[in-house]
Amino acid sequence: MTGVPISAFLPAGILLAAALLIFLLDVVGVRRSEALGGISVAATLAALVGVVADLGFAPFGALRTVPAGVVDAVPSTTALFAFTSLGLVFQAIFLLSAFFVGLGSLSRPSDERGAAIFFGLLLIATTGMLLVALSADLFFLLLAIEVVGISTYLMVGYTRRDGRALEAAMKFYIIGALSTALSFFGASLLFGAYGSTNLEVLSQAPGTVGYPAMALAGYALLIAGVGFKATLVPFHAWAVDVYDGAPTDVTAFLSGGSKKIGIFGLFLIFVGPVTLLSTRSVTCVDSACPVPYHFAPILALTFGVLAVLTMTVGNVLALLQKEMKRMLAYSSISQAGYMLIGIAVGTSAAFAGATFQVFAHVFMKVGAFLVVAAAAQIGIGPLISDWKGLGVRRPKMAVAFALLLLSLAGIPLTVGFVSKFVLFSSAVEAQGWFVWLAVAGLLNSALSVFYYARVLKVMFMDAPDPEPAGSLLAAGGLGYGRAVAIGLAVVAVVLLGVYPGPVLTAIQSAAGHFVVTGA
Amino acid sequence: MAFPILSVTLLTLAAGAVLSFLAGRYARWVALLFSVAFLFESLYLVVQYTSWPGTGLGGVSLFSFQESYAWISLPWLHINYTVGVDGISIVLILLTAFLQLATVIYSWNEEKWPAAWFGLVLLTCLGSVGVFSALDILLFFLFWEAVLVPMFFMIGYWGGPRRRYAALKFFVYTHVASVVMLVSLLSIAFYGHSTSFDYASVYAAGLTLPQTVQIVAFLGLFFGFGVKFPIVPFHTWLPDAHVEAPTGGSVLLAGLLLKLGGYGLIRWGFLLVPHAITPHVQWVLYAVAFASIIWGSLVSLAQRDMKRLIAYSSINHMGIVLLAIAVNSTVGFTAAVLLMFAHGIVSGLLFMASGSVHHAFGTRDIATLHGITPTTPFLATMIMVGSLASLGLPALISFPAEFTALLATWDQIGYWVLIPLVMLVVTAAFYIWMMQRMLFGPPEGIPAEAHDVPWNEGAGMSVLVALTVLYGILPALLVTLIANSAVYGH
Repeated sequence: MTGVPISAFLPAGILLAAALLIFLLDVVGVRRSEALGGISVAATLAALVGVVADLGFAPFGALRTVPAGVVDAVPSTTALFAFTSLGLVFQAIFLLSAFFVGLGSLSRPSDERGAAIFFGLLLIATTGMLLVALSADLFFLLLAIEVVGISTYLMVGYTRRDGRALEAAMKFYIIGALSTALSFFGASLLFGAYGSTNLEVLSQAPGTVGYPAMALAGYALLIAGVGFKATLVPFHAWAVDVYDGAPTDVTAFLSGGSKKIGIFGLFLIFVGPVTLLSTRSVTCVDSACPVPYHFAPILALTFGVLAVLTMTVGNVLALLQKEMKRMLAYSSISQAGYMLIGIAVGTSAAFAGATFQVFAHVFMKVGAFLVVAAAAQIGIGPLISDWKGLGVRRPKMAVAFALLLLSLAGIPLTVGFVSKFVLFSSAVEAQGWFVWLAVAGLLNSALSVFYYARVLKVMFMDAPDPEPAGSLLAAGGLGYGRAVAIGLAVVAVVLLGVYPGPVLTAIQSAAGHFVVTGA
Repeated sequence: MAFPILSVTLLTLAAGAVLSFLAGRYARWVALLFSVAFLFESLYLVVQYTSWPGTGLGGVSLFSFQESYAWISLPWLHINYTVGVDGISIVLILLTAFLQLATVIYSWNEEKWPAAWFGLVLLTCLGSVGVFSALDILLFFLFWEAVLVPMFFMIGYWGGPRRRYAALKFFVYTHVASVVMLVSLLSIAFYGHSTSFDYASVYAAGLTLPQTVQIVAFLGLFFGFGVKFPIVPFHTWLPDAHVEAPTGGSVLLAGLLLKLGGYGLIRWGFLLVPHAITPHVQWVLYAVAFASIIWGSLVSLAQRDMKRLIAYSSINHMGIVLLAIAVNSTVGFTAAVLLMFAHGIVSGLLFMASGSVHHAFGTRDIATLHGITPTTPFLATMIMVGSLASLGLPALISFPAEFTALLATWDQIGYWVLIPLVMLVVTAAFYIWMMQRMLFGPPEGIPAEAHDVPWNEGAGMSVLVALTVLYGILPALLVTLIANSAVYGH
């Protein structure tokens, strides 16, 4: 029962300080996008090093600021914070998404004001995300989610001149407020049922108290409230309009980064920060141990149904889209469905699979949306058919996009394949009805191939329209930052697809601490 | 540790592919260089494969040049990079090397984005070698799928007028099939509680399953591999893909991709779950094989497009391969692998010839072209050698293979062998008819600007003709390799 040392907040502190610095510079007249963006990228990188160091990875292990013994200690029943390896992994994931979005937006069009708002809010949202990963208390968790929420509402609407973005921001805000209300109401019901908002207490309570109706109602409201953030069907309807209306680099952050707080939030609420299964006298072996809510099979079943619904609805609707951004938005929803499989199955193996899926999704989705942003920059319209002949006109960009889409489709030798494979096989390994989740996931992956392949066909096989005179396509590059960010994402997608070993092992060991057996 | 020849080979091809992509207009030289290197590596395999593996069921020791490294190692999931070969694999790797070299030479003057073209040729061969040497479920699947993507682009970008439709159809058919295949393999591994995905552990896991489960898994595998064969009624992607594919693509498609199906069915079907091969299952396979043989040759008779005719004759030939495999004996497997080698070389030759016909005359229509021999004597010779080899003329490569296949069939199911035998006559008929119409008689329908083949196309075909004759006279060069590896088939 050790407390969390202040140095655990160092990464979040770095981000916050950098955000304040950015706002300050804006006031004194430094408004260059490259300068402010540079600060944000440097800050996320520094924070990332700190997080990786705390995970104990060579060569950064020497830099660690938190003693190894503190990691994964069971938090006290009054603690607000828990410092866990899985939380660290998620911090790293969040920071990676902020890093890619920051890098990809470095060279924003110079006539667009508001670089400070964008990069400052990006850092504040990321700070909130890091706090989500540190939470050990339900109320604190919901507050941290709210920090992320408010920053991202502003990010969606900050350009002000764009009517669609404003509408999206408004929609996002209203739905966000509703989901917050639902979550807090759910949390108060749980408090009523179990007498605490401490996540550790909540995760242990059902073992002794069982599931009173009030608790189940609370859990249902929390699933809805947090499910909004994670774009679970049927709480997904806002996502596509918001993703579509937002500036595309913001969409990249929403889809690749901030919505994952919903996934980790669900992890925390339904499993607890560090869960000692032995206290509930479960006899099971290693990775096949179920998590507590399997005492209420209805919860596992709920997550199973939500997972299948989310991936199926997302994929089917993605099939029907004519606009690139909307298609990717629906594909983002379906990816959340895959991640839910991890919670439904609830073994450490499944959590590892889901976490790796979240990790992989950062590179794929942020990369893909950055390509879409780049495409708009060179004058490609919003429709999928506007991408005709990109393979001839901008071969590098087209190949990069193709690789990212292939990864989203789960084609081998990309990280998307490995993550789905690990996730689905963890469901098969758990046996029972979970096998059907793997089957549903597999069928959905097969379905998704169609809409991704359609884009490949348009890019590489359809002849381009004759270019209008003075077309933007002939002109200039995308700007360094964006090209480098896309390039890095593609390299990561392929590299992790070919050699996922070390990262996967690290995530598995973190998930192993998350669901502890023995003790 | 022994020299890691298989990894070196795979790396050679990967490096060759990447360098081709980067080499711009020098891509063809890069491709040629790496193809020659690959050929020497394959020959090294053939020469060094002297220590015959012992007999024993599915044991690790059965494979030579084995390498194994942990790839994904979680408490509940062990996936290794395990490669190893036996005689069957080596023969097919050798085929890959020959075809790659011939294809690179044949398409030497490719004008449409040559860097990507040669890169994709090498990638396709990389995938094939990977399939022939992988000994881990997932690794096998990775390579299996890795073949699909370059071929998709070869058809879709370099192909004929209906290339998009053909490429998509090819992709969808084979992708669905490979997913079924993967699920079947994984179900054996998971339900048999295999300790890892290595061939040996999966084999051991398969043995523990009830026989019905094994049979269901085997039928799934049969479907997965069968679509690649292709078996009737899942063959319709093949004629479309072949007709639309560029010549080099057709050569690799017929020469290599179909062989992946045959190899997969032997290694990951018959040898992996031997107890699933009951007489009933065998009869299912015989029936499918007969259907493919009959359908392939009858439909060939009706074709006007030379390329389409060769495509359908492939269905017929692969039907005989399936028949020989279904016999489930050492002789059968030997015949099947030999026939796959033969068909790879001969159909490659014929597809090249039909590509050259198209270049020379602007059409491949058998009904309009007559008497091309005086205009293009070299090309006519190539067509003749190819057709005669394909219809099974003794002293050319297909004869020993088909003869052995029919012998093995006779051994098992007696007079049923008459079906393939009669169909062989039909095969002979459509090839002879084609030759009669196209090659001989007074010239007709020949454009004025028609010319004999350029040197590179001639050289590409010559390589394959030489092999047709060499292995036709000395099939023992291959048979010993294969037969010793097929011993443990049951």
